[in-house]
Amino acid sequence: MLIAEIREAVINGQAKVVATKVEQALNEGVPADRILHDALIDGMREVGELFEQGEFFVPEMLIAARAMKGALEILKPRLVAQGVEPLGRVAIGTVKGDLHDIGKSLVAMMLEGAGFEVMDLGVDVAPEKFVEALQNGAQIVAMSALLTTTMSNMKATIDAIAAAGLRDKALVMVGGAPVTQAYADQVGADGYAPDASAAVRKARELIAS
Amino acid sequence: MSEIVFQPVGRRVTAAPGETLLEAAQSAGVAISAVCGGIGVCGDCRVRVLRGTVSAPNAIEQDQLTDSDQAAGLRLACQTVIKGAGEIVVDVPRESLSAPQRSQVEGAEIPLAVEPAIQVHDLSAAPPSIHDLRGDWERVQGIDPAAWRLDAPVLAELPGVLRAHGWQTRLIAHGADVVRFLPPGMTPFGFAVDVGTTGLAAYLVDLLTGQTRGIAGATNPQIAYGEDVMARLTLAVRDPAGAARLQAVMVEVLNGLLREVCTQAGVPTDRVVDLVAVGNTAMHHLLLGLPVEQLGSAPYVPAIASPLVIPARPLGLEAAPGARLYLPPNVAGFVGADHVAMLLATATADQPGVTLSLDIGTNTEVTLNAHGQLWCCSTASGPAFEGAHIRDGMRAAAGAIERLIWQDGGLRWLTIEHAPPVGLCGSGILDAVAVLRAAGILSDTGAMRRDDPRVRREDYNPRYEIVPAAQTGHGREVALSRGDVNEVQLAKAAIRAGIKLLVERAGLSEAEIDRVIVAGAFGNYIDLQSAITIGMFPPLPLERFHQVGNAAGIGAKRLLINAPERARAAVLVARLRYIELTNHPDFSDRFSQAVRLTPDPWDA
Repeated sequence: MLIAEIREAVINGQAKVVATKVEQALNEGVPADRILHDALIDGMREVGELFEQGEFFVPEMLIAARAMKGALEILKPRLVAQGVEPLGRVAIGTVKGDLHDIGKSLVAMMLEGAGFEVMDLGVDVAPEKFVEALQNGAQIVAMSALLTTTMSNMKATIDAIAAAGLRDKALVMVGGAPVTQAYADQVGADGYAPDASAAVRKARELIAS
Repeated sequence: MSEIVFQPVGRRVTAAPGETLLEAAQSAGVAISAVCGGIGVCGDCRVRVLRGTVSAPNAIEQDQLTDSDQAAGLRLACQTVIKGAGEIVVDVPRESLSAPQRSQVEGAEIPLAVEPAIQVHDLSAAPPSIHDLRGDWERVQGIDPAAWRLDAPVLAELPGVLRAHGWQTRLIAHGADVVRFLPPGMTPFGFAVDVGTTGLAAYLVDLLTGQTRGIAGATNPQIAYGEDVMARLTLAVRDPAGAARLQAVMVEVLNGLLREVCTQAGVPTDRVVDLVAVGNTAMHHLLLGLPVEQLGSAPYVPAIASPLVIPARPLGLEAAPGARLYLPPNVAGFVGADHVAMLLATATADQPGVTLSLDIGTNTEVTLNAHGQLWCCSTASGPAFEGAHIRDGMRAAAGAIERLIWQDGGLRWLTIEHAPPVGLCGSGILDAVAVLRAAGILSDTGAMRRDDPRVRREDYNPRYEIVPAAQTGHGREVALSRGDVNEVQLAKAAIRAGIKLLVERAGLSEAEIDRVIVAGAFGNYIDLQSAITIGMFPPLPLERFHQVGNAAGIGAKRLLINAPERARAAVLVARLRYIELTNHPDFSDRFSQAVRLTPDPWDA
């Protein structure tokens, strides 16, 4: 069964195998949204579970997420044509002054793998860029900071969102090595996650609330 | 239970309240000297408790330690008892370690003409008389006194030297500045030091012959305040007193090295008339006491990139009164003068064809010379290869496994000084991952097989037993955990992704690299085949690799011996094109590929 094979290849992080089999599935007439949900999203859900159980570490998650992302690129035009709605829209970035990329990118990929539409604003993202993303339809703002020197820019961003009058409709998530639940509460974020897998759960929770 | 961290060796151990720090050190395999066996008699086991809750100094300590020792926070590890829970950070001074740590000072050298930045003028003065009442300086013959600059501490030596040595002196000058009035015929010396994030390597050089007369190494004492550069920058930004402390411990260790190399040559430290210090941009700024806020936050710019020549004494360095300290140019926030020195020492920019030069450390600097075009980057490889964040990781000291091979279906290991194994140093960690990968115990994603009898799974983090407890030096097994493999994967992925992006930027493929120059203490000891097996280096024929040791230190020495080398440093820096990786659009993708434990991770 092709769907099961793609799902398995996503979990094992075989990017080339995933891409080939996704093309094959599309050629055989399997709908794009079915490949998305039953192979990619379900595969990544299992990757997240394996990570939380301690079976997977960050490298396996990175490798699987990359394989998933390659497949998603192939599916995207079809999904748009099919009018498939994402689970939600997330704007993600590392805060101003901070150039750490890997953790933020992993969270972005895991969110995509869970069915969210992700606008990756990159690193060193100024508060106004996050505000702009909200004005362009983002529902969740996800901020990462890896430095104790830059994490104060999470507060600055939340303040900028409030100043733009968007605080009520924006869901704000924060994370990164020095960030804690207590810090998230202190800056007035709606959610905190200690790792990429927990971030997906938190985003699902926030969007459902 | 408390977690005890022993700095600067970087070993961690869990210990129960009531245990002494010496007991904890012994179970951690940290070789603290305790000749008396821990009964408070020898006074050898002096340590400093930097953080955490321990017993107050007892009567034995008050007896053994002088007032100034106690004021400096020194304790006897055998008398200091762990209290309560939480982390305790202990600084073990080098003199309290019984096993010398492996020196980081060896390196290959390219010959160079002796042409130092200082000039030597052998002069004589007319003795004063009732008919010649000019000052001592004005009576020195063959020079125009007005053409020179000299300050009071330099001048202070002149009258004594002239009178004691028959009106002769050897004037040491740096351009128009007088550095020192030496007695006639006396040799001026220079001091070159490579200030690494983890370790320092220092050299004393005879400035007349270019010969090295003293070599010494030391651990960077700033480690006690933060393992990586960012942690130290954070401390310096947050707390001005912290910045001052980082500078003070650095000056202190430099003076210690200065004394050590001068003792080897049998000369006083004030015979040192010229100094060169190379380090990454953060070490450069912390030594000079420059602000680092702009260095710790994007876009990470240094206060100065140009080379500096400054008087050494006002910094607190115990050199000649007028001695100058030269600091070569920095390339960028995370590529410092140490990399410039390394490139000079290896003549990377002068090689034909395609040359890749790497200096592996907590940050790994990579330069690619692609047919004369120079590209460089810095990549955050982290401290895993220094043994940090590795279950049984340690620095290269006695008992560290430095080489591992798979033979006759089992592991064979070699330790430093052939001591019973107590942990794994960088090259051993690399070998361990490589042999377990080659033996199929690790998959290419880093997953560990569960059905192998030597894989233990008591907690979520499985581990492979490398040495059973019965054969180790501390009675506990030495193992490599899945978490350790994870750290190695992230470290090597950063290095390999950096190489790949430079090669791509130059429009080349990895296979077109003609030679790979691997510098740094770790790079000198690693097994190249292991590095290829896990995909840290591209799979090129082994003869293309050259392990050159501490090339940054050698480069520092060249900048001391040969002034034109300083001009070449400036030209080199102007030619280097720096690529910022952190916001590079392809970095994440390349990194995600490069975590795979396979020689060619790009084809997956």
